[in-house]
Amino acid sequence: MATRMKLKLKTVFVLYFMVSLMGLIYALMQLGQRCDCAEHDMPKDRTISRLRGELHRLQEQMRKAEPTKPPQKLAVKPAQPTIYVITPTYTRFVQKAELTRLAQTFLHVPQLHWILVEDSPHKTPLVSGFLASSGLAYTHLHTPTPRDRKLQEGDPSWLKPRGAEQRNEGLRWLREDRRGQPGADTQLGVVYFADDDNTYSLQLFEEMRGTQRVSVWPVGLVGGMRYERPVVEGGKVVRFHTGWRPSRPFPLDMAGFAVSLKLVIANQDACFDGDAPMGFLESSFLQGLVTMDELEPKAENCTKVLVWHTRTEKPKMKREEALQKQGLGSDTAVEV
Amino acid sequence: MPKRRDILAIVLIVLPWTLLITVWHQSAIAPLLAIRKDDGADGGRREAGQASDSKEYCSSDKDIVEVVRTEYVYTRPPPWSDVLPTIHIITPTYSRPVQKAELTRLANTFLHVANLHWILVEDSQRRTPLVTRMLRETGLNYTHLNVETPRNYKLRGDTRDPRIPRGTMQRNLALRWLRETFNSNSSQAGIVYFADDDNTYSLELFEEMRSTRKVSVWPVAFVGGLRYESPKVNAAGKVYGWKTVFDPHRPFAIDMAGFAINLRLILFKPQAYFKLRGVKGGYQESSLLRELVTLNDLEPKAANCTKILVWHTRTEKPVLVNEGKKGFTDPNVEI
Repeated sequence: MATRMKLKLKTVFVLYFMVSLMGLIYALMQLGQRCDCAEHDMPKDRTISRLRGELHRLQEQMRKAEPTKPPQKLAVKPAQPTIYVITPTYTRFVQKAELTRLAQTFLHVPQLHWILVEDSPHKTPLVSGFLASSGLAYTHLHTPTPRDRKLQEGDPSWLKPRGAEQRNEGLRWLREDRRGQPGADTQLGVVYFADDDNTYSLQLFEEMRGTQRVSVWPVGLVGGMRYERPVVEGGKVVRFHTGWRPSRPFPLDMAGFAVSLKLVIANQDACFDGDAPMGFLESSFLQGLVTMDELEPKAENCTKVLVWHTRTEKPKMKREEALQKQGLGSDTAVEV
Repeated sequence: MPKRRDILAIVLIVLPWTLLITVWHQSAIAPLLAIRKDDGADGGRREAGQASDSKEYCSSDKDIVEVVRTEYVYTRPPPWSDVLPTIHIITPTYSRPVQKAELTRLANTFLHVANLHWILVEDSQRRTPLVTRMLRETGLNYTHLNVETPRNYKLRGDTRDPRIPRGTMQRNLALRWLRETFNSNSSQAGIVYFADDDNTYSLELFEEMRSTRKVSVWPVAFVGGLRYESPKVNAAGKVYGWKTVFDPHRPFAIDMAGFAINLRLILFKPQAYFKLRGVKGGYQESSLLRELVTLNDLEPKAANCTKILVWHTRTEKPVLVNEGKKGFTDPNVEI
């Protein structure tokens, strides 16, 4: 009788131990799982738990969706040309806003490298901080415009060509960067000069990606007209449809052409002439690179407008200036 | 001898329970690693396992992992989520040369935002092909409406019948559409935001407004002749005034881009609309908000209204002198 009792007790203990151990292991497995927090009645935890589960579901969905979305996402082939976008920028009130919406467009374009060049003797914290959180691949450069070439307060915007030094700095960096990396693959790319206040459609970047030498397309809202465009006959550019000084060698806007990286590297001295007369900035660069019949027309033989030369108004600051005179200006620690 | 056995027995009993209790209070790192690893295997189980009555662990606030954004850069728009509240964006628009450009860059912004529904209302007699085509090509979730502002409302001059602020009829139409489409009993969580087509919006703004319970507010740059206007927030996190120079005693001295409303509130107060006539300059926002909330109910966002997440940019009117009287460019080419 006694032995049987003892045995029973031992069995009980063993059973109890095994059950506890299994319970513990099970609990460990459950760690970090989505929680059924109803019994705790903690709405915050419930929300967090629910969102976590949702997050994983979405991540799963995206992982599944990516390989089967060829029309929207270009399959990343190893030799897909990178688009190098050179943007000159300068400090003014609307700078952060302009760069923000520009970055939102660029984030949709695969294989894009943004070269942002500030018109400044040093890198500003606003731009540095902005680029770091943008999510884009970028290079942050800076070079100041010499005083005599700078527009003064009250000068009309068309008086002096702007951004020449900054674009040249971008080209210089690009050439130097490539010099350190020999090989045919690294010369695969397209260079585009994008000002920070224009508007770009996503289709434009896909059109320019296949540029062999220099490709061109129409630009909206420029030259005092609805749009300016190259005229294409037989697949070749024969002349330019523009209302302003059509006799220029290349009467097109900075936003209306892209140059292949190979060409930029092959012509180490090709750059923008900051002293060129108004409207001749683009020509000063393109003249040494290509002739008109070598131009590659894009955007359905230059009949579609995929980029617009928008300009942003200078915000009225009368009340701000009045307050600042009284020493009551808005908090400068708040970045605008 | 029996004593040792007893001690052993007691140890064996107590050990698993102490381990259990220790692990229960452990911090968040271990569970996160567990998630990443058994993502594939447990994906299915997790989706189905809502009503599991076995004990599961609740994690603390620190668990939220930062999503690597570049993962979904090429998927536009982001996949629809059943959990996130929908953001209904009401944008009035009208035909002018920069219209397509403005809508294009606005769409490029919206394509980053999950669960976004764009309600674009044209100021026109009928929906224009330009906007119809553009909306279709973006791939966004949208509703395309139109209502023409009567000519006498558009013209300036007559002080007895001043021009109504632009976009009012269009915004009201969108509000009416929302009320006809969603009934107040539905559990569809939504936020309503009025976004003009020439402003600039950061992506962070949309995530801030998603948690709106009634009406949330934040600063707006470049309005009221200042660097920015913002609500005044006290230490308790409540709005008590407005930091503006232009008429700070308005009931709601805030720009159209500076607030968002929970859809439930819109449906709950079906008579609340923007006032059409007799509205003083700068009082349009107040004409709607005062029918919906009091100052006390406002929820300040953007780090207690200290960060700028939206800019009231305005686009210059392009100079089209070279078009001349007859038009130099082909009118069939859309810009």
